[in-house]
Amino acid sequence: MLKIENLKVFHGPIEAVHGISLTVGKGKCVSLLGPNGAGKTSTISAICGVASCTGTIRLENVDLSTKHIEARVRSGISVSPEGRRVFSNLSVEENLILGGAIRSDLPEVKKDVGKWFDTFPILGERSRQPAGTLSGGEQQMLAIARALMSKPKILLLDEPSLGLAPMIVGQIFAMIKTLKAEGMTILLVEQNAHQALQLSDYAYLLNNGQVHAEGTAEILGNSDSLMAELTGIT
Amino acid sequence: MTLSRSQKRGLVGATLLAFVLIAVGIAASWFGSRYQLRFVYGVYVNLLVVLGLQVFMGNARMTNLSHSAFMGIGAYVAAICVTPVAMKSISLPDAPWGLDSFELHPIISAIIAVVITGVLAFLLGLLIVRMTATGATITSLAILVIVHSIFLFRTDIFKGNQAFFGIPQVFSLTSIVVLSVIVVIGARIFRESRWGIQLRATADDEIGAAAMGVNVFHVRLIAWVLSGVLLAVAGIAYAFYLGTISARPFYFNHVFLTLAMLILGGMRTVTGAVLGTFLISFGLEVVRWLETGPTLIGISLPEVLGLSGITLGAVIVLTMGFRPLGIMGDREIEDFILKK
Amino acid sequence: MEYAAQQTMNALAFGAEYALLALGLAIVFSIMGLVNFAHGEVIAVGGYTMVAFAALITANPLIIIFGAVGACIIASLALERVAFRPVRYADATTGLLTAFGVSMILQNLFLLLVSPRPIAVTSLYFLDWPMEIFGIRVSSLQVFESVSTVVVIMALMMFLRRTKLGLAMRAASLDFEMVRLMGIKANRVFAMAFMISGLLAGLACIFIMARRGSVDPHLGFNPVLKAFVACVVGGFGSLPGAVLGGFLLGAVEVGMLVLLPQEYGGMKDAFVFGIIGLVLVWRPDGILSPAQEKGDKL
Repeated sequence: MLKIENLKVFHGPIEAVHGISLTVGKGKCVSLLGPNGAGKTSTISAICGVASCTGTIRLENVDLSTKHIEARVRSGISVSPEGRRVFSNLSVEENLILGGAIRSDLPEVKKDVGKWFDTFPILGERSRQPAGTLSGGEQQMLAIARALMSKPKILLLDEPSLGLAPMIVGQIFAMIKTLKAEGMTILLVEQNAHQALQLSDYAYLLNNGQVHAEGTAEILGNSDSLMAELTGIT
Repeated sequence: MTLSRSQKRGLVGATLLAFVLIAVGIAASWFGSRYQLRFVYGVYVNLLVVLGLQVFMGNARMTNLSHSAFMGIGAYVAAICVTPVAMKSISLPDAPWGLDSFELHPIISAIIAVVITGVLAFLLGLLIVRMTATGATITSLAILVIVHSIFLFRTDIFKGNQAFFGIPQVFSLTSIVVLSVIVVIGARIFRESRWGIQLRATADDEIGAAAMGVNVFHVRLIAWVLSGVLLAVAGIAYAFYLGTISARPFYFNHVFLTLAMLILGGMRTVTGAVLGTFLISFGLEVVRWLETGPTLIGISLPEVLGLSGITLGAVIVLTMGFRPLGIMGDREIEDFILKK
Repeated sequence: MEYAAQQTMNALAFGAEYALLALGLAIVFSIMGLVNFAHGEVIAVGGYTMVAFAALITANPLIIIFGAVGACIIASLALERVAFRPVRYADATTGLLTAFGVSMILQNLFLLLVSPRPIAVTSLYFLDWPMEIFGIRVSSLQVFESVSTVVVIMALMMFLRRTKLGLAMRAASLDFEMVRLMGIKANRVFAMAFMISGLLAGLACIFIMARRGSVDPHLGFNPVLKAFVACVVGGFGSLPGAVLGGFLLGAVEVGMLVLLPQEYGGMKDAFVFGIIGLVLVWRPDGILSPAQEKGDKL
């Protein structure tokens, strides 16, 4: 589904990612793991079109590199970004409606919003509240739901567990597990390696802008040295 | 006192600029007609304004639009203090608070003007330095408008749009050249001083600088007040040469003109301030000459009123679009002759 | 009693005009952080269009009105496309200075290409006749102005709340990049903002022209200044703040006119600004200012 080759990401003159390659198969959940500053979010930014980069990014064999941010979203990319970035002054419902902005079938969009309210009653309860008044976990749920409103081909999740209490993290990961079970293709960026590996089919370990290791979740999870690297403890 | 490397380079640069200023001044006084002398004097006044602007705007990187107001305050206070009583009775017949009953020596008047402007700058600065860049700019614009309307409407003190005349003309081209040399050196010293460097750090990354122990509000305030003082000096120099002032020059057109000078030259450096001032001042004279529809190599050119305004606007728009850092960018004059 | 009612009407009408002008500025600022000093010149474009229409096309006032508003919208969109697109993502200072420069260029172009002298615009005099409401004599123009401003504000509110693009614009003022990440085209959001700004300018232009009866190159300066002050007082970037600021400014102005004794009449502006200054000391960011974060967005 998503194929990245020799990706180099730049922040101004600084090269943050030094030519990595990764693949996300259709219906699979792939994790991008690694300590702080490894280049994970830079990679996501590059896929979205926010950061400048070189290399190839192909979604279902369509080359994305010439497309602007908006065009990439229309091609099927959707992101729940780092820090969630819900529109704080807009209501929960308005956030979700905006998520479906690229769709032209407004009644269907409204139906989907209703479906999310059914799946997550808490969002339904707070549907008219400004999104900024929601708790961290609720905002994360909203961000993921919003990202899915556009019916994307692939969902990019950037650090969904960041800053959340362990119990809430569990709820979020349960949500992701359900999505995966429904066949969603997911690229998951996480510092929380344990939980991420439990969900994933495949994982890449990023460090200092390069792929240090890759493999199925089982192999990575069972390697002590790799786990040490993942958790940043040497 | 040991100087850091950048401070030594700063002294070299300041000296170079001083030479340029003196050379231009000498050339003008030897070869210039009376009109041209007046013109060059005006260029140096604007140079003082632009330098004052550079000290704050260039180092803190917050756009300031109130500078002409401070210049006006300095000019008016000095003018009121120094003008002989006889003159004041004609030009300010209704002056309140006994303002028409005294006259002071030019130097004392200047000092009073600088002090009053400085205090005002300090008070206003307390507000400004806490704001975001946009908020500060907007507030500075409000200051400009408020000060201008006070000038216009307290005609008993300021005479509004009418000429406040009778100011003893104690300045000459020599005085202002000397003054600008001093200010250029001062601006450069500030830029390379502890405060200047800290201030520039806050411009790049406010939170990072604060995390490193820079007292952001403190350094901004210092620069703002220093800027106000320099602007007052410019106003005083203006008043003491021209002999008459009015409210009109201290408003939008002047703000715009001096802003264009700083932007074109490059606001981050003192050299940029000097370069921009000279370029636009002389360039604008050429454009103004073209405006009148002169005869060029036998061809009579049409009158093009408004060309100077368009040129000025175009300079700003094009510079902002293509080279926002101005011609000099981050470079000072000594970068051309000293190895990095 | 009648005097009080008349002055209230006065304050309402002035306030409405300032609110219109301020909204035009605030819409653009809330989305792209640009203080559009060229807004006044958009109004002047409308004025000159009226002259052109009256002289060359028709004397039918309705067509002239539509032409003027249309011209303002087109001018505003053209400004976005040509002048402000290159500095779209630049910092606020760059945008502000560019707007300043554009304003200068336009003012001088009017001077150069049309005339430095004011040109009469008589087509709109019909809008201004004395009328009676509840036995109080007011000017019809004031009524039109107040009513249409309220209508426009309500329409704007509905647009921002009920339509997708309106939602997108509100979101854009919070996190523009995220809006693009929803697949909404940046160009479309900006164009809409400038179109609305142009429409508001056009409306204000009608009323300004009806009152003044003439257009000159520097026409835009005063309105944009008033708009600016209203925005500052209300909180720059906040749309409700712009409306509040506009009406407050109108009220203070008329209040000064009423309260100041005859001799001090000329000082009205100074007092108005003095009061504005006091408001700023109390609330330096404006009364309803949107919260400003200085830190990095994570």
